[in-house]
Amino acid sequence: MHDSLGELQKEAVAALEKAASLAALKEVEKNFLGKGGKVTGLLKGLKDLPDEEKKSFGKAVNDLKVALEGLYQSRSQILEREEIDRTLENDWIDLTAPGTQHETGHIHPLSETQEEVERIFQQMGFTIVDGPEVESEFYNFEGLNIPSYHPARDMQDTFFIDKAPHPTEGKMVLRTHTSPAGQVRALMQHGAPLRVICPGRCFRNEATDASHEHTFNQVEGLLIDEGISLAHLKGVMLEFLKRLFKRDLKVRFRPGYFPFVEPGLELDMSCPFCDQKGCRVCKHSGWIEFMGCGMTHPHVLKTAGIDSEKYQGWAFGFGLTRLVMMRYAIDDIRHLQNGDLRFNEQF
Amino acid sequence: MKISLDWISDFVALPNLAPEEIGKTFTHHTAEVEGVEDQAAAYDKMVIGKILSVSKHPGADRLNLAQTDIGGKTVQIVCGGQNLFEGMLVPVGLPGSWANVHGGDRMQLAEIKIRGEDSFGMICAGEEIGLAPDNAVGSKTDVRIHNLTHTKAKPGTPLAKALGKEGAVMEVDNKSLTHRSDLWGHYGIARELAAIYGKNLAPLDSFTKIPATKGKAKVHVDIQDAVLCPRFSSAIMTGIKIEESPQWMKARLQAAGMNAHNNIVDITNYVMLELGQPMHAYDRAVLGSDILRVRFAKKGEKLVTLDETEQALTPEDPLICSGKDEAVGLAGVKGGLKSGISTATTEVILECAAFDAVLVRKASMRHALRTDASQRFEKSLDPTLTEVALKRAIHLILQLCPGAKLEGPVDTVGTWKPKKVVLKITPENICSKIGISIPTPKIIALLKSLEFEVQKTGKSLTVTVPSHRSTRDVLIPEDLVEEVARLYGYNNIPALLPEKVLELPKENVERGLEHNTRAILSASLGFTEVMNYSFYGKDRLEKCGLDEKDHLKVLNYLSLDQSHMRTTLTPNMLANIAANARERAVIKIFELGHTYKEVGEFMPLEEKRLTAAVAENGEAFYAAKGALEVFLKEFHVSNYELKPSAKILPYSHPKKSADLIVKGKTVGVLFTVHPGVLRAFDIPQDVAMFSVDFAKLISLGRELTRFQALAKFPALPFDISILVDRKKTVAEMETAIRSTDSNGLIESVKLFDIYEGKNIPEGQKSLSFNVTLRHPDRTLTDAEFQALYSSVGTALAAAGGTIRGL
Repeated sequence: MHDSLGELQKEAVAALEKAASLAALKEVEKNFLGKGGKVTGLLKGLKDLPDEEKKSFGKAVNDLKVALEGLYQSRSQILEREEIDRTLENDWIDLTAPGTQHETGHIHPLSETQEEVERIFQQMGFTIVDGPEVESEFYNFEGLNIPSYHPARDMQDTFFIDKAPHPTEGKMVLRTHTSPAGQVRALMQHGAPLRVICPGRCFRNEATDASHEHTFNQVEGLLIDEGISLAHLKGVMLEFLKRLFKRDLKVRFRPGYFPFVEPGLELDMSCPFCDQKGCRVCKHSGWIEFMGCGMTHPHVLKTAGIDSEKYQGWAFGFGLTRLVMMRYAIDDIRHLQNGDLRFNEQF
Repeated sequence: MKISLDWISDFVALPNLAPEEIGKTFTHHTAEVEGVEDQAAAYDKMVIGKILSVSKHPGADRLNLAQTDIGGKTVQIVCGGQNLFEGMLVPVGLPGSWANVHGGDRMQLAEIKIRGEDSFGMICAGEEIGLAPDNAVGSKTDVRIHNLTHTKAKPGTPLAKALGKEGAVMEVDNKSLTHRSDLWGHYGIARELAAIYGKNLAPLDSFTKIPATKGKAKVHVDIQDAVLCPRFSSAIMTGIKIEESPQWMKARLQAAGMNAHNNIVDITNYVMLELGQPMHAYDRAVLGSDILRVRFAKKGEKLVTLDETEQALTPEDPLICSGKDEAVGLAGVKGGLKSGISTATTEVILECAAFDAVLVRKASMRHALRTDASQRFEKSLDPTLTEVALKRAIHLILQLCPGAKLEGPVDTVGTWKPKKVVLKITPENICSKIGISIPTPKIIALLKSLEFEVQKTGKSLTVTVPSHRSTRDVLIPEDLVEEVARLYGYNNIPALLPEKVLELPKENVERGLEHNTRAILSASLGFTEVMNYSFYGKDRLEKCGLDEKDHLKVLNYLSLDQSHMRTTLTPNMLANIAANARERAVIKIFELGHTYKEVGEFMPLEEKRLTAAVAENGEAFYAAKGALEVFLKEFHVSNYELKPSAKILPYSHPKKSADLIVKGKTVGVLFTVHPGVLRAFDIPQDVAMFSVDFAKLISLGRELTRFQALAKFPALPFDISILVDRKKTVAEMETAIRSTDSNGLIESVKLFDIYEGKNIPEGQKSLSFNVTLRHPDRTLTDAEFQALYSSVGTALAAAGGTIRGL
């Protein structure tokens, strides 16, 4: 019986090694180790053998079964590997054919940049405030120390609403800057100490061309607390610009004039596009005029009922539209609001 | 404003720096310099030449050979000038210089041969080198060259020097001088530069010195409004001979951007450019009497101003009138034509007055006359200047007109009294605002360098503001902070971050959700954000059937399509769709912006709205509805209903409009655009939109998702299709399906197809539902499935449906 077992082993090993495909191998496995297989048959026949043979023969059959199973496993792995290798060899794809189109929409570049600006200032402890776009002359001008006779009103070509003026608030205007919301209203509503920014839409009555728009976005900023100085303004803006442009920048102050701040300043930033080597954006000067700013005028604090002996601070305003145009190298301001989707879909 | 550095050097010894450096420094301490131009650059390699002899060119009729002394050297120059004479001084462009030869393009001159004769550069005509032209444009006959004999310059003198065009000119941005009336003349700029560089400023005394006079002649000045004219200085001069001004004066006027006229007019302009104080000279004979009156105009009165235009005057217009009460000038703005200086003038009345800034500004705007004078008066000039400037003018007239004589004293009238602005401030306060510690003696020195008087008492400084800064500019202690900061140097201020906030900033939830909304609509739903103007025109408003009276109108709109404030985002978005419709069949856009409604109160109702639009061929309603549903889900608004609209919008399809209701409140609308409106906008596709009151939605809506336990047992889904009357709703059929489920086994009912047309009887439609059954605690039995399946069929049949073959 043991002899026949040797024959069976030879036969099975030969068959397993001969099998050239996974399917053929599976078939051989079935023939020997499957339910009706030859080895399984011998195991089933064990119960009819006498006890003394049952033990030794049983062990021999079981050893054979284990050996064949091991051989089957290793052959199966080899054949599987061969099959994969064949597939890999035959597989081919046209890498130049286009990917499946997944339709997505697009966020306007002004919104995208505004969100970044808001996030950075929030990280520095600023609250974001909002305000009406249709304003009264009081909030847009008087509250900001720009009385009706002030020549600064020449600088602001204002859109007026065709409506009788209010006895105390004056005519209704489209706000010419974000200052009424970011300074006067914010201070009246929240008092001091306060740190806010107010991004929003502004209007100036001027003809539109590639670099002028009657509708544009600004970001107003205000920080009022005890002991706040121009050094803090420099520090906050430097940090903001570094985070926005993700590089080391410089800022510098120049004297400037805005009725609602005293001292009034202009802030320039070192050109982030050429690192001051000179480029078209900075007109080869290495510096970009970024914003107007200054220490909040006591008149503004007084209008809002803030104690200007105790609290002091600063305000700034920069053009978000201009910033977006610089960042994305947009050469015509009119693209931003004319709804030609070929523009909007680029962002 | 153009500032000649050569002129500045009359008053302050500037450091030996490149003019560009001086410009930059001025920008960093005082006001923006837009550019610095080196006047002499244009006259590089040009000299004064003296014509020694003139002879005909042997090979050309119209050319001469001029032997010219160019300073220690005589050269031959071929020249077409017909006005050459021996001894004449001429501008010579030496080889290497640049000129617009014969008024054409700029060319570099060289040593050449012209028709066989040597020519060492060129003798130039005025138009060739940027001087007053000698020849008409294009004129080729009787060519004349520029005669500079009057300069009496030595041959070889650099042309720029001979012309007085040596210095650099700084262009200062006018806007940055809005608040600084003291900087509207060279002397004021010199004062700043002296302070910046720590130099001495020459006092004006020697420039304003005039001889004592025994004459008693005075102008009788009658000021009828003390607010309009607080101070008026005048003088009478005789023996005037009207002539051209000397070259140095012409050169300075030109450097400052003004044309030269004649000596008297030039002097009044010169004084204005130097001291910032406008003045006027009248022809005494034409005036007829030594009387001047300052009053407001009468209704209907007229004045022809120096620019030869007739001004219709109003009772708000400030006037200067003659003794006959005839208007002779619009005060502070422009003089009258009639009484101006002419070549016949021999006696003058000089006026140098202070006028109210606001009144002058309004008059200048009313008559659209923005003059050098009005520009200065509207900045609130220092009234002390009237006398100083008048004396300066008299000084110059006596210098330039040897025969001139002062007929009487400089006379000043008016109610103006010098006022002292005295401010108290502590150095500590100054430093706390600038953010840097500056020693007190340094602060005092800086203020003193700008002519502020400073007294230290204890810890505080008492500062007296000089008159030229106290009209409007420096009135409160904060103004002194600026003076110290800018002179000390803004570049010296360190960059510091403010102390950490103890109180966290208030969160602007609405603003955060705006960005969230944009992300959902663009990234998840494929909508592209647009931003439109806040206006539209009457045409667009009418196309949408909107009522004009709900709108705010812009008084001074820029164009007819921007005259009304939008009350809805729809009209401009429809215009977006129309503009893009040719390029694409499907358009999905959204906008988040303000609308403004006239509601009968002073302030309009300003709302933040979110509007999204889908344009596509065929029915667009469900695309918009699906987008709204996904948006609401992603936005965490689950407890909403869509109900047939209570009120149909004028631009909405009357049958295809539903209100979005959250907690019983209408917060938005979902609709298909009215086909008539689509036609009016020339949009070929169907367009459906949803529009939401953003703030209201946020205040009512948002709830966090609650986790639901994951099903442990398998679901049993089945599909069922029915034919029903086309006006039966999906909701009715869904209700019928769900009505069969008394044991809570129906997990979901989803419509997956809706179809009318081929193979479907007229007036009917096919609806196909996918129904999913599931028991929460065990696997459903086949019997339970069959029972529910058949009762769904029965319920649908009862609701009017015919089951189609599955």
